[in-house]
Amino acid sequence: MSAPNCLRGCLVQRPAGGAAATLLRHSTVMPATAAHFSTSTPLHGNMMKPQKPGPKSKVLLVAKQWKKGKVADRGGKSPLPGERKAFRKRILLSNNNALPVEGLTYIGPGDLLDHKNVGKVMSIPDAAVDQLRTAEVFKPTQTWSIFRKPSMLVRSETVDLLNRMHTALGKEKALRLVIAGDRITGKSMLLLQAITHAYLNDYIVIHIPEAQELSIGATEYAPVPHSDPVQFMQPNYVLKLIQAIRKANEKLLAKMTTIYSHPDLPQNIPVSSPLLALANSAKEPESAWIVFRALFQELTVKGHGRPPILFSLDGLAHIMKMSEYRTAAFEPIHSHDLALVRLFTDCLSGAVSLPNGGAVLAAMTRGNAPRVPSLDLALSRRAAEQAGRHKNQLPQRPAFAKDYDDRVEAVLQTVELLQLQGVSKPEARSLMEYWAASGVLRSLIDEATVSEKWTLAGNGIVGEMERAALLTSRF
Amino acid sequence: MPPRLNVWSACRALSIRTRPVTNATPRPRAAAALARGLADLSTTSHNSSNTNFPPMPQTTESQPAESSSPENQMALSQLTMAAYGVNPFDPAIEGHKFGLPELPLPSPMHMKHRYDPVVLQITKLLMRDGKLSKAQRDMAMILNYLRTSPPPKLNPSRPLLPGAPPPSHLPFDPVMYLTVAIESVAPLIRIRGYTGIAGGGHKLDVPAPLAARQRRRIAMQWILDVVAKKNSKGSGRGMFPSRVAEEIIAVVEGRSPVWDKRQMVHKVGTAARANLNHHKLIGKL
Repeated sequence: MSAPNCLRGCLVQRPAGGAAATLLRHSTVMPATAAHFSTSTPLHGNMMKPQKPGPKSKVLLVAKQWKKGKVADRGGKSPLPGERKAFRKRILLSNNNALPVEGLTYIGPGDLLDHKNVGKVMSIPDAAVDQLRTAEVFKPTQTWSIFRKPSMLVRSETVDLLNRMHTALGKEKALRLVIAGDRITGKSMLLLQAITHAYLNDYIVIHIPEAQELSIGATEYAPVPHSDPVQFMQPNYVLKLIQAIRKANEKLLAKMTTIYSHPDLPQNIPVSSPLLALANSAKEPESAWIVFRALFQELTVKGHGRPPILFSLDGLAHIMKMSEYRTAAFEPIHSHDLALVRLFTDCLSGAVSLPNGGAVLAAMTRGNAPRVPSLDLALSRRAAEQAGRHKNQLPQRPAFAKDYDDRVEAVLQTVELLQLQGVSKPEARSLMEYWAASGVLRSLIDEATVSEKWTLAGNGIVGEMERAALLTSRF
Repeated sequence: MPPRLNVWSACRALSIRTRPVTNATPRPRAAAALARGLADLSTTSHNSSNTNFPPMPQTTESQPAESSSPENQMALSQLTMAAYGVNPFDPAIEGHKFGLPELPLPSPMHMKHRYDPVVLQITKLLMRDGKLSKAQRDMAMILNYLRTSPPPKLNPSRPLLPGAPPPSHLPFDPVMYLTVAIESVAPLIRIRGYTGIAGGGHKLDVPAPLAARQRRRIAMQWILDVVAKKNSKGSGRGMFPSRVAEEIIAVVEGRSPVWDKRQMVHKVGTAARANLNHHKLIGKL
């Protein structure tokens, strides 16, 4: 039987009457603050438990008809729940068959700021690799598994972005920037480089690796108590996020101490105890959001030796639309009414400032992104502004268009835009020389080869170059 | 052997044009080095009109303009090339950024021979529902899997093809890895059954040799049969290629049941080779 307050479970069982009806009444009596709406886990529980013999509903009959087709039994044990996804999402960062590349240097704290390093391939230090792995910055679609150790090309855009971050840090401001660009131009990779730089320079990094995990209704949600208009927290996701932050930034958090008393925390954290203890106090999903708020409040205190913060998110379009969640009245919830998303969008719009400097970076995604006309419009306006167009000449909403969203455009009113394109030919050459030195690309790297791959890849789009040179059956 | 000197050898050197030559006067090559003195048109015309006293050459003003003019630049580069012993008028160099390709074109440059023949054939065998592009992606993933897997541990009782590279080299050349696996496990013969010859309703088993492509095809089908029976470990597009690649590694390491199939076919073929001399088949094979 499903959880008593499960939205979908109640709806499914409504025609059955009896016990389910009493439960439904019970759930409506309960105060809204205590209700947990969830779609996935109780549903999953339903499937796992054997059904009780009882009055059969129509839904169950339909399910029986679906099961008519015989599933081929191949013997052996089938994968456990979650194992398939783990296989799909696993990240391999080294290939012992690849040759070690001579002359490959590790990235130092200031290396990504230096214009001399543009066009060099450099390795990520091992400590930073662990941190990046904890924060889930590496993606399974990137080609880390082919090479000996994780290394990346320093692009001119990388140095440009990080210098802007550095300048903002000097002014104790946050750089608020959206990374846009065509498919596989390296948007997530640029984000990874920024995060690497942040870890090497003792930033606190809060990274949301997949924005769609927040808005597609795959994680539990509950209304935030005493919020008006009501916001929704995602306790399980936030707990996981706090644990990732704690693990990746452990050294920094241990050094800092709290300066506020947080009376509403589940555990008593006295003033001037280490922030690590505060982060550790998130043990249960129920208290995760309160702890996260407290942690964020402590981190954004001005002065007191607080480090700069990098708040980043990958897949911006997914949080710029209505989410798949519903309120108790079955109204769709806007993504910006989800508390964690709201915090990010507030930081991105500048409504919440980061007084110790840092950056709020949002990378677009083109693979699986929903179409959000307001987002496209806002970004095209920013691009036109950066190109020096007059305010009257910016792109406008088409007349009679309905699917535009004021909230989205308000968030992106003042952000900067970094439009990624292909790499230059010298950069492409350096990258291909690295591939060849790793023994992965078996061809002579001369001007003709570089030019061929660069042209095949739509004027140096890195992902296409990888497809043309590495992920091909043509050797 | 020196060519024989006779009438026929002289005829061989003759070329016959079936159509008249349209371009009567071939365009002269732009020999910029020779035309260098004439590049400055103003001075030459001035010289021709005034025959009495040629004016002082305006060296100071005209020289920088002259040396940077395109004709001069080209002439200089041609002279440099000549100094290096390269013919500046070689059609392979002149007017081509990367030179002309050497003929005959190497096989991968040809549109229809872009891929290794084994890769091409196996890719098409992987294809389902005519989705070649998906099959190509699968093949690329298989090759990457082979590239990142540790060197195989060979089984001496299942020898690979003679002349195969040592196992430590295989991951570096995934195409070779695949080729070695497929060719090693491919059967040499197939069994043809002739009905109505053996009598009693039995068919007469007769071994028949296979061509290289046929052998590869049968081997790959056996491998795919094993793959289809394997349990899927995960979800997503990488699953099928990784199962195929695992089976290919199993073949090279001698763990695969495909070897037993090959052995069985060869055993039956060896036993049935006497049937080749069956009196009703003589002259028919």
